[in-house]
Amino acid sequence: MINSYFILSLMILASFRFVFSIVDFSLTDLASPILWITFFFAGLFSLSPTYKREVEQGTKDGLMIAPISLSSVFFGKLMSNLLVIICLEMFSLVIFFVFFPVQIPDITALLFLIIIGTIGYVTLGNVISAISANLKQSEIMIPVLLVPVLLFTIIMSTVSATSLIFSGANIIVVLDEIKFILAFDFAFLALGYLLIDYILEP
Amino acid sequence: MRDEILFAKNIAKSFGALNVLNSINLSIKRGDRYTLFGSNGVGKTTLVKILSTIMPADSGELILFGKKINRRVKDIKNFIGFMSHESFLYNELTAWENLNFYADLYSINEKEKKIEDILKEIGLFHRSYDRVGTFSRGMRQRLSLARAILHSPELIFLDEPYAGLDIKAQKMLNDIIRRLNNEGKTFFFIIHNIAEVFNITNKIGILSQGKIVYEFEGDEKKNFTDKYQEVIRRETN
Repeated sequence: MINSYFILSLMILASFRFVFSIVDFSLTDLASPILWITFFFAGLFSLSPTYKREVEQGTKDGLMIAPISLSSVFFGKLMSNLLVIICLEMFSLVIFFVFFPVQIPDITALLFLIIIGTIGYVTLGNVISAISANLKQSEIMIPVLLVPVLLFTIIMSTVSATSLIFSGANIIVVLDEIKFILAFDFAFLALGYLLIDYILEP
Repeated sequence: MRDEILFAKNIAKSFGALNVLNSINLSIKRGDRYTLFGSNGVGKTTLVKILSTIMPADSGELILFGKKINRRVKDIKNFIGFMSHESFLYNELTAWENLNFYADLYSINEKEKKIEDILKEIGLFHRSYDRVGTFSRGMRQRLSLARAILHSPELIFLDEPYAGLDIKAQKMLNDIIRRLNNEGKTFFFIIHNIAEVFNITNKIGILSQGKIVYEFEGDEKKNFTDKYQEVIRRETN
């Protein structure tokens, strides 16, 4: 299943590459949106089975009866999703620079933005995955619930900051965006920690 | 005198407009082998999930091992084992990996030895490194039992433990139950076939219309069949 996420990110980037071979656009302006669309949609599919599989396999009650706090389940699943999705994003980043002749920007700043942006959307994605695990069509519900919330929080800030980095700015220039993203990361983590007991309770 | 390890008073549970349990009152002493009977859909599994702390009740009081149960009680779960018709096993993991995972959740000491011993006891040691997804129903049931008793719980809930087991495996299960009961463990069964447990159960309860309507202990068990038929007639009228 993890292989399919990597293939999906490759297909998304290949599609954009194909489009830009036909239509002339400034790659520097569109580099950030292309990257974040790839990260977001490839990562979205890995979020859906996070809790759904526990429900389908009947293992959720096994976790409920164990002498562990449900917040540890939440953080465990969050860490494993972050690991997979960050690996996916690093793979996508390499493919991006192979496909698109864009000057490599301040790579430290870029990687930092990718990581903090990813923490935000994966955290909220985990919360929504837990909420929708018992729903029949959770694969559709997750993007339906996730995209509106992320659009006006994490996504706008990360795309804007990443665009500035691709334009040659350093990390000091995007400090306000970074503070905003970190605030949301913290808020989503707190939300997950406080709500997970009530979300997972049968 | 045996101490009371489970006390339930006026336990109630609803799912939306459906009142499943109305006023459940129950007392189980250490060493009891309690069997709960009832028709399909009457709320047996719901009650067991509440008593085993998987699910909270809407109202009522539950005391386990002298502690009142609320949402935050975690340490009590160390004393509870639960075997359901869902096995709680991960198909992608091997038998050993599944038990190792649960051994870590319960912080079991000397877990390798305990896992090896229990796999030998249930007759699955030769399949330790095979994925659970390749197991038959009976094998999953046996492994689920192993998972439920791995941490040596004091109170063990078994929901349909004989389902999918052949004669040999049923005998194995009975031997394990007798051994653990002789060690002072307490059992709570949900069984559909009375013949499976009549000889090993010492207390029987009948759940109907949200309440435990009859209970039998010792010699009173001989009245069980008549009363159960009476309950079924009442439910169908």
